[in-house]
Amino acid sequence: MTDFLMMQRRDALKSLLAISAAGALTACIGEGKADGASAPKLSSAPSLSTAEMALVSALGQTIIPMTDTAGAVEAGVPAVVQTLFTEWGDENYRTYWRAGLDKLEKHFVKEGGQKFAAMSASQQANLLGRYDEKAFADNDFDPFYKDMKSTIATAYYMSEPGATEELAYEAVPGEWRGCVPLSDQPKTWAT
Amino acid sequence: MAEFDAIVVGSGISGGWVAKELCERGLKVCVLERGKPTDPVKDYSDFLEPWETQHFDKISDEDVKRDFPITGINYAMKQSNRHLWMTDRAQPYERAPEQSFNWRRGAHVGGRSLLWGRASYRFSAYDFEVNKADGEGVDWPVRYNDIAPWYDHVEKFAGIAGNRDGLDQLPDGKHFQPAFEHTCAELDLKEKLKTSFPERKLIMGRVAHLTKPTEEQTALGRGRCQARNRCAHGCSYGAYFSSNAATLPAAERTGNLTLIPNSVVSKLVHNPVNNRISGVQVLDADTGVGTTHTAKIVFVNASTIGTSLILLNSATEAHPTGLANSSDQLGRNLMDHIGGSQVVAHVPGHLDRYFSGRRAIGAYIPRYRNYPKQEESYKRGWGYQVYSWRGGWGAPAGVGEGFKTKNRTPGPWGIMLDAFGECLPNPNNTIRAHKTKTDKWGQPIAVVDLKLGPNEEALMRAAHQDAFEILKAAGFNGFYEARKPDDYLNGVLGRIHEMGTARMGRDPKTSVLNGWNQSHDIPNLFITDGSFMTSSAVQNPSLTYMAFSARAANHAADLLQEGDL
Repeated sequence: MTDFLMMQRRDALKSLLAISAAGALTACIGEGKADGASAPKLSSAPSLSTAEMALVSALGQTIIPMTDTAGAVEAGVPAVVQTLFTEWGDENYRTYWRAGLDKLEKHFVKEGGQKFAAMSASQQANLLGRYDEKAFADNDFDPFYKDMKSTIATAYYMSEPGATEELAYEAVPGEWRGCVPLSDQPKTWAT
Repeated sequence: MAEFDAIVVGSGISGGWVAKELCERGLKVCVLERGKPTDPVKDYSDFLEPWETQHFDKISDEDVKRDFPITGINYAMKQSNRHLWMTDRAQPYERAPEQSFNWRRGAHVGGRSLLWGRASYRFSAYDFEVNKADGEGVDWPVRYNDIAPWYDHVEKFAGIAGNRDGLDQLPDGKHFQPAFEHTCAELDLKEKLKTSFPERKLIMGRVAHLTKPTEEQTALGRGRCQARNRCAHGCSYGAYFSSNAATLPAAERTGNLTLIPNSVVSKLVHNPVNNRISGVQVLDADTGVGTTHTAKIVFVNASTIGTSLILLNSATEAHPTGLANSSDQLGRNLMDHIGGSQVVAHVPGHLDRYFSGRRAIGAYIPRYRNYPKQEESYKRGWGYQVYSWRGGWGAPAGVGEGFKTKNRTPGPWGIMLDAFGECLPNPNNTIRAHKTKTDKWGQPIAVVDLKLGPNEEALMRAAHQDAFEILKAAGFNGFYEARKPDDYLNGVLGRIHEMGTARMGRDPKTSVLNGWNQSHDIPNLFITDGSFMTSSAVQNPSLTYMAFSARAANHAADLLQEGDL
């Protein structure tokens, strides 16, 4: 029986599932056409480069900053993204991520005059906030961005600080209570 | 001189029960399992924390393509438990063109008893009589009163948590342990159904989890359910019923059990002189070396498809269409439950309430259509498994602190009705042995043909419509069709409830087994996995397999004692 209590997390994972071979290829081809020239020359290295990882870290930390709890970087999100890239994803997945990150970086260089990772935190929040708004207003604007965000969120909320400090987690609840006051424990259960 | 009193082929839910009962009757029993030995310490992943899983515990596309290209992945299949699932490479099969049936199998001692959904419902008096009443399939040779004591027997030992709801279509057990609690969303719907549709009842799901273990259960090393919902990873507490936690240890402690894993059964050997199964041929799953084991009686519990395939592949000159198949019903009447309707709704309110712990079962709306009288243009009906939740974390719009706050705050309540519809027995829904293709052991592979008939389609569409009706009448909104009938017309998708291909019946001309799960043709051959089922009803079937397994095993022991075999 499916665990529908985790429906929303499932939705997050679903966007990973959605990256089918065909979908990823379409995304890449679309990218090439948008440039009006040949497809961008992307690295085929088996892991994300230092520059790509810097972008992932900065995006992660802007989406999930450190507050009274860990941010994406403190929770180890970039390493999880790298592991998915090197150990889990297939060629299509890697191409999809490379092209998607490349497009994001180009956008931010154009908008902010420098690489995203080099910007101040407030500039990052400002530019990414606007980008995020567009991506959620229009499903076709940048599907990769939403998939990436979902991966970052999943990595964060499944991390130890994400699950146990930011959210609430009990490895062995012992008891099930179906309808209790929210005030007993008001934070979202990690799982 | 036979090596054993009895051989049981398969160690899953039904095989485990047969082994336990026969061992407890003092018989020397050999259980042959094609899968690997199961070591809870090594093979269970129930203590993995979320952050200890690899890749969000999701199997990669490349691995799915390699290992599960036909069956695909399912809700219970994770990176950390994938070793428990039989790969398509290890046991390939084919399905009829344009069909979607997924054959999901265990690859280890305990079989699917480690992977099952654990929902445990009795069939009703109606379910055993309806074939006779409406003329579908053949009459069950058993009535509710015959099997009721055996339901008591298996429920007491297995441990079923549930309420006594007093519904004729879903008989109560005598030995239920305390039920799990409803969520606020379920309580809301339950209350509203009382006025909107009084004949449709929402009850708590009945599930094979220990909530108040008995001494007998504790003595086997089983403990209380800890509400972790890690069941598909194996349960180190032995809190849900599995062969591994319950029946095999009970069989083992009698000193009468010999369990031989890695044993791929290639065929049953029939002795035409005395018309008995004289032996079971196995191939070692690692080396391919062949052995023949012998016993006085043989129970085949290799799962519906596995069992049919073994009997079909055991054909001889005298039995050219397969052993125990004078009726020509072996491999026919394949059924599973219909599952093309899942309707989700938002449940307004209750925002000051939450849940705690992780409940490993939902609520249930037992069958109500065409019950107790035929009223609709279609036959039979369905039940709904009901799931509910409060929204958790995800990847909503927004960045920064606001994004974190959104995810830290539980979302609205949601509920889903997931219809499980009855499948009629149709002789043209079949398991056949492939004419040319074989697996790596040289065994012809299974070809599954499970068409969705007009009645099944009508049921699915009616269930879908009713789900909306029920949820709308409750004042819920924000509907979402997680599954809709139009997307599920390519055969029966399968609920991992395949059954029916060696059905029991009163007439040897139209059924494979008699009312004791004994072959009409070959007296020392018994089958108690899902293949014996004469109809599918709408209830999750495992509890019924357990009851018939225990009953058949005791009957076989009686016959053996009386010298009748």
